[in-house]
Amino acid sequence: MTVHDATRRLFLRHAGALGSLLGATAAPLALNLLAAGSAAAQAAADYKALVCVFLFGGNDAYNMVLATDDASWSNYARVRTQAPDSIALLAPGTAPNPTAAAASPARLGGVLALNPLNAQGRSLALHPTMGALQALFNSDRRLAILPNIGPLVMPTTKAQYGQGAHPKPQNLFSHNDQQNTWQALGPEGATRGWGGRMGDALAAMNAMPVFTAISASGNAVWLAGESVQQYQVGTGGAIRMGADGNGRVFGSADVGAALQRIVTATRGGHVFERDIAALGRRAIDAETALRSALKAPSDPLFGTAPVTGGYNPNNDPKLQYDNPLSGAKAFNPLAQQLQMVARMIDAAGAAGIGARRQVFFVGIGGFDTHDNQNRNHADLMARLAQGLAYFDATLGAMGARGKVTTFTASDFGRTFTSNGDGTDHGWGAHHFVLGGAVRGGDLYGAFPVLGAKNANNNNFDASPNQIGNGALLPETSVDQLGATLGRWFGVSDGQLLDIFPNLANFSRRDLGFMA
Amino acid sequence: MQPIRHQPILQRLGAAVALAAGLLAAGCGGGEGDATTEGPSGTGAQLVAEMPQSRADAARFLTQATFGPTDADVDRVMAIGYAAWIDEQLGRPASGHRAYWEAANAAIKAANAGSSAGQDQVLESFWKSAVAGDDQLRQRAAYALSQIFVISMQDGGVGNDPRAVAAWLDMLATQGLGKYRDLLEAVSRHPLMGVYLSHLRNQKADPRTGRVPDENYAREVMQLFSIGLVELNADGTARVGSDGRPLATYGPADIAGLAKVFTGWSWACADWPDNGCFSWGSTNGDTDPDRAFKSMLGYPQYHSAEEKKFLGATVPAQSPADPQASLRLALDTLAAHPNVGPFIGRQLIQRLVTSNPSPQYVAAVGAAFNASGGDMAAMLKTVLMHPEARRSGGHAGKVREPVLRLSAFLRAFGFKSDSGGYKVGNTDSAASALGQAPLRSPSVFNFYRPGYVPPGTESGALGLAVPELQIAHETSAAGYVNYMRDSVASGVGQWNSGTSRRDLQGDFSAELGLAEQVPALVDRLDAKLFPGGMPEALKAEIVGAVEKIAIPAPKADGSNARQVNDARRARVNAAIFLAVVSPEFLVQK
Repeated sequence: MTVHDATRRLFLRHAGALGSLLGATAAPLALNLLAAGSAAAQAAADYKALVCVFLFGGNDAYNMVLATDDASWSNYARVRTQAPDSIALLAPGTAPNPTAAAASPARLGGVLALNPLNAQGRSLALHPTMGALQALFNSDRRLAILPNIGPLVMPTTKAQYGQGAHPKPQNLFSHNDQQNTWQALGPEGATRGWGGRMGDALAAMNAMPVFTAISASGNAVWLAGESVQQYQVGTGGAIRMGADGNGRVFGSADVGAALQRIVTATRGGHVFERDIAALGRRAIDAETALRSALKAPSDPLFGTAPVTGGYNPNNDPKLQYDNPLSGAKAFNPLAQQLQMVARMIDAAGAAGIGARRQVFFVGIGGFDTHDNQNRNHADLMARLAQGLAYFDATLGAMGARGKVTTFTASDFGRTFTSNGDGTDHGWGAHHFVLGGAVRGGDLYGAFPVLGAKNANNNNFDASPNQIGNGALLPETSVDQLGATLGRWFGVSDGQLLDIFPNLANFSRRDLGFMA
Repeated sequence: MQPIRHQPILQRLGAAVALAAGLLAAGCGGGEGDATTEGPSGTGAQLVAEMPQSRADAARFLTQATFGPTDADVDRVMAIGYAAWIDEQLGRPASGHRAYWEAANAAIKAANAGSSAGQDQVLESFWKSAVAGDDQLRQRAAYALSQIFVISMQDGGVGNDPRAVAAWLDMLATQGLGKYRDLLEAVSRHPLMGVYLSHLRNQKADPRTGRVPDENYAREVMQLFSIGLVELNADGTARVGSDGRPLATYGPADIAGLAKVFTGWSWACADWPDNGCFSWGSTNGDTDPDRAFKSMLGYPQYHSAEEKKFLGATVPAQSPADPQASLRLALDTLAAHPNVGPFIGRQLIQRLVTSNPSPQYVAAVGAAFNASGGDMAAMLKTVLMHPEARRSGGHAGKVREPVLRLSAFLRAFGFKSDSGGYKVGNTDSAASALGQAPLRSPSVFNFYRPGYVPPGTESGALGLAVPELQIAHETSAAGYVNYMRDSVASGVGQWNSGTSRRDLQGDFSAELGLAEQVPALVDRLDAKLFPGGMPEALKAEIVGAVEKIAIPAPKADGSNARQVNDARRARVNAAIFLAVVSPEFLVQK
């Protein structure tokens, strides 16, 4: 009960602060703009953002970052070459076969060699459609790889995995629960995400709390803190509610004013109504603040101004990727979400925003590649690569690369084995961290041993890192990733131990990938 | 603090729900009785008064059981009572969605041979039956079930076969109210489910190469369509082990065993079990035109003959492989699991009545299901007839999902379709429409999860589940308001050039007649849209704003009749608009 009471108090305080910002009341708004101005003056000098790119469905990281040394490669090729549709990608240097089926390994050509600073005696490569990331790793050194990471309660060996008593995350292999565990360190129902809790720790640096934790995708528990609440911004910007530019509805200012009062409060007694009214209030407040602060998507910083007519994101070359299925350029919704994040970062110092610490969430779905994996995964890898490269280039143009750190996350990795044209739910996976403050071009954590499938069981006895169906048993935990990012972000070690309850079980609390 | 914050959610929810139920029971004096506090009993159907005490009571019931109350439905429930109304509804044949789609397709082809019906016609059929169908309870139940047994037209494979999606909705509207065991088989063998969860064409393991079966359907049929992740008590609360943690219903070995059952299933095909039928659904150019909704067939040569163990059951090794026998035991095992009643029953309660039912309510629904031999109609009746479905106050009720907000609005004002097609269209966009469209969930996990506790809310602090808030955010909040503003003013759906207006148009004549008597106008909206009662303060807000819209005094010569009519219409529009965007309307109490 104490937690609930404390949460309720925090919530009410938060709601009250927002209430005073309601656009119609002039004096409080002006006061807050004043406060925002003082924060904005410092924003350029001290601004940091974290961006989570969530790959919904469970990314097959085995086909995103590949070990190409002889032992790894021969096991990989043998395990994944299965009828009717082999999902084994081809060796580096293999020329694409233009007559092979769209997005088939032969059509894509060989995997793209990586050149890590410390290769751990292995050789590594990227999915063939991820050319946009190759230079970010090999020469720009802004992209790092975290091999075999996933949720863990404590370090876990393969022998311990088989012991029922050894603590493990709940509901492994289940989509919704593992999405929640990556984001909020507990299965479905956990309501505090580690992005939002970092926001709690640092929200005092922001003039308007509502712009602390922002999703350009849907609702994401990663952004939910104790007092910090997610703000969801549409990919085209904030949507004005109901009224025209003069506050009128059906031509009536009275109806416009009544609309504001009605959607931002409740006259009934139901708790659900109060929560809906709080949402309505946030929607109106935030849109009012963003209306003047956000630059247009066609601004050359983020997009491409159309030669004629209005801006259409679908036609913006900056938001297009090479679709491996059609062979043509196509609109990349992930890039559009990241464009929105870039616009928000650009606006962070504007009057009325005044944000110095922000956490952002974007996401794309479709990674649950049980079947038809070659086509679906190639397309997703191409979108991810173009989206990240677009974001890096845009932040470069904004002079903000060193202030923004982006990382990927996903429900889980997938099985090493193939079911004939796809893969099943796994656990650990390889992930990316990208940014100007990232010590890129390297691996942080040991790259796992890739074994052959046993003749008589499915447990990949030859690898200490693989369990049933060759799924990866994580070596690095989400808590360690979060703590490393959090320390860079400015969260204290004590706060990190509070935010990441399992961090105390790991001796390495900084993975070293942040400069 | 840490251990409390990370306490397993099921326990926390259970405690919160029990607390809420206790408060409700304490506050409910006499009247409709509290028989369920004595524990689960038979069908529960005789537990509530048969006759509504008021038109508001009838409207409230119809909000749970239909796509929104109409005056005619309220009259009917007042005349024959709740139980008889349910029986009458269940006696009606289901609207035919595939029949609608095929007729629309024929008409489209007649006009343009190269063209054909698509997803839009599935949505048309949904909205036609939701707004104007007389099998409201069946269709409302089917819609609820479409959010438990989920396929989605957002998936390319499903979306490319809209005729079969219409057939899927027919299946839910018929077998969804029959025996659960039959429903589970219809769901599991439906080719669209096979496409969606990839067990269509799933092949047995190849020990020589190391290929393994696809585990997708085996996992999700247990997690989502039958038993869920944790062992349940009869009242839906989680059973916990000696370590205080919920007991898992299954582990990786159960999934691997059940995955073997779902190998060797593919298209219905004249030349079954030919290999070409398995791979492409056709041989020699001979394709069954109805294969996309005819039950998948078992192909022995692709079905695992190995021993299959799952959930304590064993299918012995087979020679030859026998997919039917494997499936029969698997579905019998799942359907007989004691979790099914509370697991499915609780979700049906959440879809129709309340987000946080008491354990007693869940237990009564599960008991009715079990006593009837797994009958979904018996489950549905108890969901609607349990005393808790009549109680309001406290945390009872649910947030209206966007589709049901729109349907209630359309039915309240007698909307009709100019084209006859109820062309509401795709309402996916949160920024410019509803942020939800029927049969277009983003994944098999539905638009929202039954256990969703919204972060950073008062409800969340109380440990309450509010599933529908999982798709509510600042963009959808503004998008909904704007969509309703335009819908009230201009009608709903596709623009028809022939009539120069949107396809669905309401009948506001009665409201227009009250434009000069704004308090009476708002009282009328109260009766139509707020079966729980519109709070006086909300009435005052709406009346105050609407009365400020001036209506010019009509001139004797009628020269300003248009201005007078426009002002009257503006008043009606404003009153309805302010009512349907209010938080009080958005919560079904």
